[in-house]
Formats: sequence, C-alpha cells, structure tokens
Amino acid sequence: MSSMELGIVLVLLCALIEGFAQVCLKKSAMLVEGRVAWIATGIGFFCIEALLYSIALQWLDISVAYPLGAASFLAVSGFSRWLLKESLDARRIAGLGLIVMGCAMVVAQG
Amino acid sequence: MGSKNPHHGLTPGLALGLALAIVLDTLAQLLWKHAVAGLPENASIQVTLLAALDQPWFAVVIGLFLVQLWNWLGVLKHADLSFAQPITSISYLAVAVASWWLFGETIGPVKTTGILFILAGVWLTSQGPRNTRVESERTR
Repeated sequence: MSSMELGIVLVLLCALIEGFAQVCLKKSAMLVEGRVAWIATGIGFFCIEALLYSIALQWLDISVAYPLGAASFLAVSGFSRWLLKESLDARRIAGLGLIVMGCAMVVAQG
Repeated sequence: MGSKNPHHGLTPGLALGLALAIVLDTLAQLLWKHAVAGLPENASIQVTLLAALDQPWFAVVIGLFLVQLWNWLGVLKHADLSFAQPITSISYLAVAVASWWLFGETIGPVKTTGILFILAGVWLTSQGPRNTRVESERTR
C-alpha cells in the first residue's frame, strides 16, 4: 500500500470513529443515567480520531484529507440508523450518494 | 422536542458567528497540516510524540477547536443545524483554495468538482426532517 492509500484508509477510519463518537454524544443527550460515561466515551473516540488524522496528514494534502472527512456524514447516518433507530429519507440518501461521489473524485485526483 | 423553533432570520450576530465558524474551521485545518508537516519523517513514535509536544502549532490547533466549539454552540442557539451546517460547509472550499495558495497543493477540475459534490451532498442531507417525529415545522 502506498503512503497515500494508507492516508486515505486512515481518514476513512477517522470518519467511522467520528460517526460512532457523535452517536455517543447523542446518547448522552438522550439519557438521564450514564450521561457522563457516554460523553467520556465520545470524547475518548474524538481523541483517537485526532491522533489518526494527524498521522494521515503526514501523507495527504489537506485539500484531500479534509473533504474526504465528509465521509463522516455517511458514518453518522449509518450509526444513527443502526443504534438510534433514526430514519433516513430519500433526500438524505441522495445527499449521502453525492458525498460518496465527491469523495471518490477528490481521491481520484489525489 | 422541537417546541422551540429558532427561526431562520439571518441576524448580524448569526452571520458573524457563521463567518467565524468558516474562518476557524479553515484556519484549524491549515495549521494542523502545517504542524504535522513540521514533524520528523519516518521517526519512531517516541521521537514523533516528543517533537509534537515541542511544536507550539498543535497547541494553537487545540485552542482553535475549543474556540470553534464555543462559537458553534452559540450559532446553534440561534439557528437550526439544517441551516447552519450547509453554510459552514463552505469551509471545504475555503480549505482547498487556501491550501493551493499557501502550500501550493494541486486543485484540478476533478477535485474541484468532487468538493462541489460534497457541498451539494451536505446541503441535501441537512435538509431532511430535524426530528424523526417532527416533520412539518420548517417555515423557510
């Protein structure tokens, strides 16, 4: 794997972590009990994400890494549908499709 | 949920908050990249971490994120997320332009189109119902 590909994988992993961390924060806002635990978990994941993103930035242009991070919209939608049972309407799915295509183009140019 | 509906009027304060959000996002990303670029290449984790602690730009980036969080919470007090998020996604464009200008990164037609697709996608995903149960509240 080239270092650029590794960077891309890392940013996508960051997006996945971001999605999970956001769901943790939402959980903390929804619950009465166990709030602090969810917030702490969310913040913990954000810290891991920051570390991985820093590593990715060693290999990627910021004009690639930052827009690619928009993949987190996909992760947030996926995790909130799965874990929070939030609904996904057609408009949102179309938007996610555009984001995926946009990310692919950003990566394609490099 | 959704009983208090912040209206969409763009007050000067809100406009300033949104502009500040874009500027802070852009600045944080550029400085983060700058900070990482200053680290030794192919060094051990230990050496890299020590170098990072020695690199004041990382502290600046963390500070910027804290200010950003504070500003963002203020923005959300006066605007729906579905209104604020698409506007601040302009920072995708701002980061690209600034990286070309400051770091000489290549911004070709494919990358530009990709970023525009992402902007359109963020705009679309943000327009859905804000709450699974509340569907008919928007007034814009």
